[in-house]
Amino acid sequence: MALPAEQDAASPALPPMPVDVQISPVRSAADRMAFIRFPYSVYRNDPNWVPPLEMERKDFLDPKKNPFLEYADVELFLARRGNQVMGRIAAIKNPHHMEYHGTKEGFFGLFECVNDAGVARALLDTAANWLRERGLDSMLGPANFSSNQDWGLLVEGHETPPAIMMPYNPPYYAALLEACGCAKAKDLWAWELSSAAEPPEKVVRIAEKIRQRDGITVRAIRMSDFAAEVSRVKAIYNAAWEKNWGFIPMTEKEFDHLAKDMKTVVRPELVLIAEVKGEPVAFSMTLPDANEALKAAGGRLTQFGLPIGLVKLLLASRKIRRLRLITLGIKEGYRRRGLDAILYLDTLRTAKQLGYTGGEISWTLEDNTLVNRAIESMGGRRSKTYRVFQRSL
Amino acid sequence: MSDVFEKCRTWKDYRIAKATGLYPYFRAIEASHGATEVEIEGRRVIMVGSNNYLGLSADPRVKEAAIKATEKFGTTCSGSRLLNGTLALHEELEARLAKFLNREAAIVISTGFQTNLALASILGRHDIVFSDRQNHASLVDGIRLSFATERKFRHNDMEHLEQLLSAADPDAGKIIVTDGVFSMEGDICNLPRIVELAAQYNARVMTDDAHAMGVLGELGRGTSEYFGLEKETDLVMGTFSKSFASLGGVLAGPFEVINYIRHKARSVIFSASMTPASIAAALKATEIIEAEPQRRARLLDIAEKMHNGFRAMGFDTGVSVTPVVPVHIGDQVKCFRFWRALHEAGVFANPVIPPAVEPGHALIRTSYMATHTDAQLDQVLDTFEKIGRRLGVIPETRPTVYEPVKIARPGSMVRGNRASDTWAAGSAGQLADRGFSLDQLSRMSSREMAGKLFDAVEQLTWRAANLQPEDLRKLGEAPMKLWEKRGELGGLLLEKGAHLFLRNGADAGADGNQAERN
Repeated sequence: MALPAEQDAASPALPPMPVDVQISPVRSAADRMAFIRFPYSVYRNDPNWVPPLEMERKDFLDPKKNPFLEYADVELFLARRGNQVMGRIAAIKNPHHMEYHGTKEGFFGLFECVNDAGVARALLDTAANWLRERGLDSMLGPANFSSNQDWGLLVEGHETPPAIMMPYNPPYYAALLEACGCAKAKDLWAWELSSAAEPPEKVVRIAEKIRQRDGITVRAIRMSDFAAEVSRVKAIYNAAWEKNWGFIPMTEKEFDHLAKDMKTVVRPELVLIAEVKGEPVAFSMTLPDANEALKAAGGRLTQFGLPIGLVKLLLASRKIRRLRLITLGIKEGYRRRGLDAILYLDTLRTAKQLGYTGGEISWTLEDNTLVNRAIESMGGRRSKTYRVFQRSL
Repeated sequence: MSDVFEKCRTWKDYRIAKATGLYPYFRAIEASHGATEVEIEGRRVIMVGSNNYLGLSADPRVKEAAIKATEKFGTTCSGSRLLNGTLALHEELEARLAKFLNREAAIVISTGFQTNLALASILGRHDIVFSDRQNHASLVDGIRLSFATERKFRHNDMEHLEQLLSAADPDAGKIIVTDGVFSMEGDICNLPRIVELAAQYNARVMTDDAHAMGVLGELGRGTSEYFGLEKETDLVMGTFSKSFASLGGVLAGPFEVINYIRHKARSVIFSASMTPASIAAALKATEIIEAEPQRRARLLDIAEKMHNGFRAMGFDTGVSVTPVVPVHIGDQVKCFRFWRALHEAGVFANPVIPPAVEPGHALIRTSYMATHTDAQLDQVLDTFEKIGRRLGVIPETRPTVYEPVKIARPGSMVRGNRASDTWAAGSAGQLADRGFSLDQLSRMSSREMAGKLFDAVEQLTWRAANLQPEDLRKLGEAPMKLWEKRGELGGLLLEKGAHLFLRNGADAGADGNQAERN
C-alpha cells in the first residue's frame, strides 16, 4: 500500500518502509487462518506464551459469532514477504467509543510482528491510513478489540505468563511501536496478591465494622438463576465504569456473550454480589486462571483428530491454583464506603478455602489512586504494566 | 519415473461426483419428441438445456432436406474441402450465408469450434489479439494456436480494453475478438464502444455470434445487425449447431480474408468437410430464418416470460438479456443438488460450475426454443420454484417486488440487465470464499487432506464443547426436521460436509438443519 510522500518527509525518524513487504487485507478463509496461526511463529520459543484456542480465535473474528463486529468496522491486515507472513494488525473503528467519548479515536489491535521496525511501520501505517480514510484522527492500541476485552501492550513483567484474558507479547513490541510514532496514552497495572499472607488486621476490622453498620450482605452468584444474575451485574457494570478512561458501555449482546464465555470457567463461589437491603450495589468477579490449563492444550482441542488437547485441558483445569480478580464495580452513591475492601476480603477468604495460592488483580488504571491504594493496603504488589499507545493520524 | 497416465489414475473429480450421484454430464438421450422434450433413462423430460433456439432441428422441412442430401450425395464427403471434400452444396451454402450476413464472402467449416481455430491462420507473430476474458474456449484456443500476443480484457470492461489498446505497440496489427452473446451469462458485448475503440486504435473487430445469429437483430443476422454496426465489424463467426439446426460453423467477411483462411487454416484444410446432411440442414434453416421472423419474436417473448417468472420467485437471472437464462445458485454442490432435483422432476437443465464460471457463482443455465409451449414453460417455472424453496435458494414467499428484465429485442439496444450485488461479486470472482469446487479437493495432497480432516474434527469438537442448553433443545428437534428433509439428506450432508471439510466450516454449524436456511 503506497503512502503519501509528505508523511515520510514530516517524520524523518520513522523506520524506512520495506520495499519487499506486501500488506494485504484478509479476504479469504486461508488468509484468516494465516492471521490466526501467525503468532505461533513469533512465540515459538517463548515459555510464557499461552496459545489461544484456534477455534475460539476463529469465532472471535467471525461477524456472525462476535457481537462486537455487529456495530464496529474491523479490517484485518497481513504483512507478507514473499509467501512468509511477517506480521498482522487489525484496524478498528468503534462507533460506540466515538459516540461515548465524543472523539474521533480509532483503534489498532491483534498486533503481532517479527522484530523488524520496517514491517511494524508498514502495518501501523496501513491501519492508520484505513482509519484516516474513515475520518478518524488518532488511534489507540493495541486493543483486541476494545477496552472491554483485553488491551494494552505488556511493557513490564514478561517473566511470568499472562493471566486469563490479559495480553502477552515479546518485550521488543514496545520499541517497535515507539519507533513507529506511537506514544504512551495510559498505563494499566496488574497486581499480584498471595492468599498465604494474612490481610492487614486494621483493614479487616474496618471492613467488618462497615458490614455491620450498613447491613451489607455478600453472596455468591446463583448459577441456577444465571440470566437474572447477569442482568443484575450488567446494571452495576455499566453504571460503575461510566467515568473511567477508555470505558465503552457494552451492548446487551456483548455482555451476554462475555457472560456465556465466562460461564465455562467460572467458580460461582468467587463471583460475589454485595447487597444493601436486598439491592445489589457492587460485585466482584474472580476467575480461575484458565490460562494455566489453556497452555497445556497448545491451541487445539484435538491433534490428529484425537481429543488430546481437550483431555490435557480438562486435566490441567483441575489443577489451577491461581486466580484473576477481573472486575470489581460499585454503584455510584455506594463508593468510598469500604465496599471494595469487603469484596476483596471475602474473595481472599474464599480463595484460601478453595485452595488457591494467589493470583492477579488486573487491570487498574495507573491514575485510579483510590483503587490502587486499596489494593496496596490489602498487600498487593505491582507485577505487570500494560501500556496503551496512541498515535495521531 | 513418471507415467503420463498417472494424472488420469489420480483424478478424483469424476469418482467423487459419480459416487455421490451428482454427476451431471454425458447424459444419454434416448429419444426426442419435437426437440422440446427428450427421453432419458426411459423418462420424458422437458429440454431447457439445448441451444436449439428456433427449434428447427425438429422441423420437418429441415429433416427432409438433410435426408434428401444424404440420398443424393451419401453420408460423408470423405475428405478435406481443399481436395475432394467440396460439394456444390458447400458453395451454395457459403454464397447463401454471405448474402444473408451481408458480407463479401463466407466459408463454412466442419464444426463451430474449428471455425474459431481457423482464426489462428490470420494472426501473425507481430499481431496483438484483444480478447474478452469470458470468450468461448474455441476462441481462446484459436488465439493460443497462433503466434500472436494475447491481451485479455476484463469481461465487457471497455476501460480496461482501452487501457490495453493504448499500451500496445501502435505499429502492431490489432484485432478485438469478443463473443456477441456470452454463452454462460447471456449478456451482449459492448459492440458500439468496441468499434469506436477499434477505429481509434486502428484495430479489426471480430464477433463470435454463435448464440446471436438467428436470435438477435431484425433479420437475425446477429450482434452487429442488432447494433447497426455491420460495416464496422470486420469478421463475423457463427455456428450451425444452435439456431441453424445442424453442425458446423461459418466465418464471413472481406473476400481476401476469407479466401486466405480457406487456403491457410489448418482446421479447414486438414479436416473432413461438413457432411451433405449437415449442409442441407443448415441451408434449409437459413431459408426458414429469413422467411419466418415470428420464430425470433416468439423466442424473445419466451425469454422475457422466463426471466420475469424466475425473478418474481426471487431467483437471480443476472445480466442476461437473451434466451440464455442463467439462474444463480452459488455453491457448487448445491448447484449439483439443484440439477439433480430438476432432473428427477422432469426438467433437463445444465449445471455450470467452475472453471466455466468463477468459484462461488455456480449456475443452472437454461435456454429456450421458439417451439416450447406455454404449458411446458409453466411447468419448468413451477419446478424451479419448488426446488428453489426446498434447497433454500429462494425465500419461502415470493418477494413483493422484482426488477423486470430488459430483453434484447430489435432496436432496443440493451446490452445487459443491472447485476445484483451477488451477481456482480460472483462474476468478479469475489464469492470464491463461499464456494467450493471439486477441483480444490482433487488438487490436495493426502497430507493436506489429513490436515483438513483434522481441522474439521477440531471444529466439531469445539462446537460440541460449546453446546448451550438452547442448542441442545434445537438438537432435540433435529430428528423431526431430519425426517421432513429425509429426501434431501444425502445431498445436504455432502454439501455441508464439503464446506466443513474444505473451509473448515466458516459457516457450517454442528446443526445442519439450521444451516440449510441460509
